Amino acid sequence: MPRFYHDDPAWSDVTPIPQLESGQVLAGISYTAEYSEAMSYLRAVMAANEYSTRVLDLTEHIISLNPAHYTVWLYRAQTLSALNRNLREEIKWLNPTALKHLKNYQIWHHRQTIIDRLGSCDGEQEFVEQMLEKDAKNYHVWSYRQWVVRRFGLFGDEGERKWCEGMMERDVRNNSVWNHRFFVVFGGLKGEVEEGLLKRELEYAQDAVRKAPQNECPWNYIRGVLRQAKKPMSTVKEFAKEFADLEKPDEVRSTHALDLLADIYEEEKKNDEAKTALDLLANKYDPIRAKYWEYRARSLDSAAVEA
Amino acid sequence: MAASTGPSQPSFSRLRELTPDSDRIQELSDAGTDSEFEDIATVPQYELDNIAYFDRMRPIIVDDLKTETSEVQDETLNVILPFLEGNPNEFPLNEFGLPHLQRVKHARYLDDALGSYSEHYVALDAARPWVLYWSLQALTALGEGIGAFQTRVVNTFVPCQHPDGGYGGGHGQLPHLAPTYAAILSLAIAGGAAAYESINRRSLWHYLGRMKQPDGGFTMAPGGEEDIRGAYCAMVCLSLLNLPLELPADAPARSCGMTNFLDQLGDWISRCQNWEGGISATPGNEAHGAYAFCGLGCLSIMGPPKETLNRYLDVPRLIRWLSYRQCTPEGGYNGRTNKLVDGCYSHWVGSCWALVEAANGTGIWNRTALARYILSAAQAKTGGLIDKPGKRADAYHTCYNLAGLSAVQYNHVFDEDMKGSVGVGELAAPYHWWVAGLYEEGKIWVEEDMVDEIHPVFIMPYDAVSACRKYFEDKEGF
Repeated sequence: MPRFYHDDPAWSDVTPIPQLESGQVLAGISYTAEYSEAMSYLRAVMAANEYSTRVLDLTEHIISLNPAHYTVWLYRAQTLSALNRNLREEIKWLNPTALKHLKNYQIWHHRQTIIDRLGSCDGEQEFVEQMLEKDAKNYHVWSYRQWVVRRFGLFGDEGERKWCEGMMERDVRNNSVWNHRFFVVFGGLKGEVEEGLLKRELEYAQDAVRKAPQNECPWNYIRGVLRQAKKPMSTVKEFAKEFADLEKPDEVRSTHALDLLADIYEEEKKNDEAKTALDLLANKYDPIRAKYWEYRARSLDSAAVEA
Repeated sequence: MAASTGPSQPSFSRLRELTPDSDRIQELSDAGTDSEFEDIATVPQYELDNIAYFDRMRPIIVDDLKTETSEVQDETLNVILPFLEGNPNEFPLNEFGLPHLQRVKHARYLDDALGSYSEHYVALDAARPWVLYWSLQALTALGEGIGAFQTRVVNTFVPCQHPDGGYGGGHGQLPHLAPTYAAILSLAIAGGAAAYESINRRSLWHYLGRMKQPDGGFTMAPGGEEDIRGAYCAMVCLSLLNLPLELPADAPARSCGMTNFLDQLGDWISRCQNWEGGISATPGNEAHGAYAFCGLGCLSIMGPPKETLNRYLDVPRLIRWLSYRQCTPEGGYNGRTNKLVDGCYSHWVGSCWALVEAANGTGIWNRTALARYILSAAQAKTGGLIDKPGKRADAYHTCYNLAGLSAVQYNHVFDEDMKGSVGVGELAAPYHWWVAGLYEEGKIWVEEDMVDEIHPVFIMPYDAVSACRKYFEDKEGF
């Protein structure tokens, strides 16, 4: 049933502000009478800076008609704050709405505002998990989870890391999980990366490589970890050679290993070997990026000239 | 153990699909007999050429392990490949055996996109400025005049402008940097004094001041999220409208000692480059193609790319990550590692290259493969461009596929010494670009498939960029 305000005594004191007509326009929308009227009342309460229970009802109504309406969400958050409302109730109301509209920016920002004010993330991790069941790579959900980690000091938290490992069991190719792990492990780190930590993270990624050597994520992770620890890439030279040995150019098992080897040889000033690896990539194993591999080979030459 | 190698893996080649009996596959791969040519005799030569090309581009190394990611990828490729190799849409083909750019159909689609929407499109209510920008920009890319829309563009944005500065999605909506950016670009594309003068630059400047954050970044709206889109959109507005770089007196960031819009901005962008080498929405998030373009665009407004990109980013790591976004064998881009190809990244990633190459040397990316994806897989049969075959056209994908195609077809040069009538004062770097010519190497398009030149920083026509900036350089005060 459409809901209207003009004959509702609870709203009789409000003069709605209809949408401004400005002559011929582009991409105009033929709103329903219901939406059109609700928006006219929203414009009116916003112009009067009204924060009240009936405004909460009105925003809920408009959200049900158009959840992608950032203005309504922002004004709802202001109203909740002005009325000092029970924010747990708000979260309870929000959950089913969020599950229905996965790709919506506003819902996540709204949630963040509310949880920030509540000062507790109880139940949030479980909720995020529920969302990821539906869409395991949703950018907003992961960004929100990262905000929770930062806001509630979960850097280095073992539970958070173990949860990542569970997600990784489901799909070792989910790059969002790799990013979250990196964020949890290194995001709060001040100072040097201890040997034990370095070893643990490298081993974790290396195990993942063994499951699927052509998976880009763990190779990138290895590079990221080494960089964070200020270690040379040659630290993992023997490992990389398990998957790409220049002596056996027909038995390469991972283009990412070849790519890493090229960098290792460059580090070791073995430009000929680096070029062999890049050449294999350009001409055999990864021809779509031939221009990139050739650029890398050119860079070797110019670095040699500068030296 | 996981990886299996060998040139006969995997089996999604169209050549094999054309021979349904598995014994025949064996016979075919054993090769040599005349009968294999009988079976494929009905397949036109262009299709055989395409099949041969994609057989070369197919990854040789494929892991045995199946996960959700690899399954979705395999399914998707099965849907896309027939469009890359054959011509299921029955488009007229160019001399390289690829579909012509369907200019007339796309222009008609965009005209419709600017028309009226039924009540079912209420979700667009906060995004109408975007619909205008995408459609107008795409029309200009197709070489269509948009003069007929000029007055209606201005009319549409007048009620969107908020009394406190900036634009919302419509009348009475709160100002937000996304619709503000789309509005400013649309008005600049429309051009003319009426469009320029409809913008309240003084209140916009104050609004931008309220968005500046103590950590150097920008929020999208009052009480809204802070992310790298905000930084890019704010820089676009400041530069294109020639606004003062000094923070307004009422900017909250002044209480943290900031005086200038650029304070700590470069460092904030720096923090968005993550362990992957790419750029994320905010520090700590996953690297993403659209945010990469925002970050590079922002830095390219702050100064010459060679200086700003190299000062605030590890450019070689960024290039590596950008290169990996090109999906093989599809040729189009994805936005994140192990995600699916999507036509919108033709721009978000494709347009990064002009900026990166201005900082770090040219000839790094495979333009031809991207053009193949756009022409063969990203054109909808009835007009408009798309994410991938099977998806519906929309103004967003139409705009950004065409922007990607333009990035492919032209060579843009940043010229520090360029002397023109425009580009004096603050944030003047983006007025030092010009088109050095067409990209010819290995091209697979003809004159008819060409789109217009697009300014690599603002993603709108070059002449609209300089006309707008010039207007506000010549204007005294606000």
